[in-house]
Amino acid sequence: MHVLVCAKRVLDPDGVNGYALWGRLKVDESGRSFDTGGTVPRIINAYDEQALEAALRLRDAGVDCRITALTVGGEDAGEILKRCVAMGADRAIHVFDAEAQTDGFRVARIVAALVGELADVDLVLCGRQGSDYDQGAMPGALAEWLGASLVTMASGVAAEPGTDGAVRVTRAVPNGEEMVRAQLPAVVSVSNELGQPRYPSSRGMLAARRTPPERREATEFVEAGETATVELVQLIVPDVQGQCEVIEGEDVRTKAAGLMARLRERGLLNV
Amino acid sequence: MSEHVLVLISAAPGATLRAADREALGAARAFAEGRGLAVACAVIGHDVQAVATEAAERGADRVLVADAAELVTFNGDRFIPLAVAAIAATEARVVIVPRGPDLLELVPRLAARLDGASVMGVVELRGDAQDVSVVATAFGGAAHAVYRFNAPGPRILALAPAVAEAPERVAGRAVANEPIAPSEVVPRVEVVTPAAPLEGPRLEDARVVVSGGRGLGAADRYSMIVSLAKALGGMPGASRAIVDDAWATPAQQVGLTGKIVVPDIYFAIGISGASQHMAGCSNARCIVAVNTDPQAPIFRYADYGIVADCLEVLPELIRLAGDPGA
Repeated sequence: MHVLVCAKRVLDPDGVNGYALWGRLKVDESGRSFDTGGTVPRIINAYDEQALEAALRLRDAGVDCRITALTVGGEDAGEILKRCVAMGADRAIHVFDAEAQTDGFRVARIVAALVGELADVDLVLCGRQGSDYDQGAMPGALAEWLGASLVTMASGVAAEPGTDGAVRVTRAVPNGEEMVRAQLPAVVSVSNELGQPRYPSSRGMLAARRTPPERREATEFVEAGETATVELVQLIVPDVQGQCEVIEGEDVRTKAAGLMARLRERGLLNV
Repeated sequence: MSEHVLVLISAAPGATLRAADREALGAARAFAEGRGLAVACAVIGHDVQAVATEAAERGADRVLVADAAELVTFNGDRFIPLAVAAIAATEARVVIVPRGPDLLELVPRLAARLDGASVMGVVELRGDAQDVSVVATAFGGAAHAVYRFNAPGPRILALAPAVAEAPERVAGRAVANEPIAPSEVVPRVEVVTPAAPLEGPRLEDARVVVSGGRGLGAADRYSMIVSLAKALGGMPGASRAIVDDAWATPAQQVGLTGKIVVPDIYFAIGISGASQHMAGCSNARCIVAVNTDPQAPIFRYADYGIVADCLEVLPELIRLAGDPGA
């Protein structure tokens, strides 16, 4: 089975959150990126790392898999592919594209064309959404354009007993978990319920040094100068203005009592 | 005939409109007004008459219904052709989808099939139907992003929580259901083992939610969160950090990638207030924060705060909750 894992390099959302929490998040002069003085790292999208983990667990379970890691993005986007190979991917492809940062539809078009060229991809795994723009458009659009099955919110992927034409996917749903059978080819997007991804092994890190990403150009797959389907015009940092009444008291007991008294006064408590 | 903004609702059997559905109708009404547009609502599911009726009572000018036994649960392969038919029938350029568990499938697939575009987490619609742009949440709510579209097809927009008011319900306001013709589809994905039916109340419906975070310090102390929730007649929630550490279960996670809760009171105990978390609770009527750090961001969102060690405050609150006279 040929498994393609799609990964995105994102501005670390925890870092961005850190700036926002302390009221120091600012948009730079371009209006479309943050001015964080380069202190927030760019990392592999955590959901995509979990998608790769899902592929590796499929292989660990005895399914004969070739795993190709793919990223679409600018010059440095290829960095995350080293980690993918170190974790266990067999091959890495970097489609160079300066435009792809926020438009999941463009990325889906590029990936769909690449999957067509590779011709033997059975399963595409990706994260449920980019942890930067939280859009999650890519997996759905890709499945649609490939005519493939789509399963979102996966917490586990396994072989389907008795056939190699389908996979068995566990999904995180509001009531807990459900299990679905998806015909191949399929696009499966993975959620954080899958659990912690593994650390790269030392053997994997050696492999990463010997396996540089194959570089391709976006213009091989989409027309040069094509406009974004969804175009980021501007970033805004919303204003959060607190009006918190801090309950004072000489000890914890009086503070707790003061709080409960206020909540009961406002009729917010039934007990 | 005027142009339509379409609200696309997938309804559970015998259900009534959910808060998210009402907000979507409200957002559609707000966008339609002043732009010479009418509001259409498509309801897809099985046994959905109550939803269709309430949609009309809450201001939908047209109601389209696809009602069939095989639509009893969401299946993208079955739903998308019906949504496509509803968009075609209303010639909608702007389609508003209420938040729900199936957005990640429904929204981008629909956009891709119709050569349109989609945005999730929309907090504001700008421009007119032919040239709409949107403001949406990004980085877990730490930022907003303004997007415009360059696609021939419709704009499929999923709303962030509580960005619009429910339109007033006018009993007896009725429009005739327009049936959406069924389409023959053999789904590529089928459920083998459904989730166990949910026993008991849902976190999303709780009037009181008590959530714990890393400030608890250790897994076994989460039991104090459960005790306080029980004493207050509410339900326990959790930050993503402690769900990742398995101190609480994924079903208890409140936040952007967990449950969106709208209780009367939300207790954030030992939670710093990351925007990822606040995305799930910031629409509570009243937020109470307990944290040792007076600078913790949670106090910017809270109505009441106690600056103290939550491990000392929790036993006091549990005692007071169990004693209404205190």
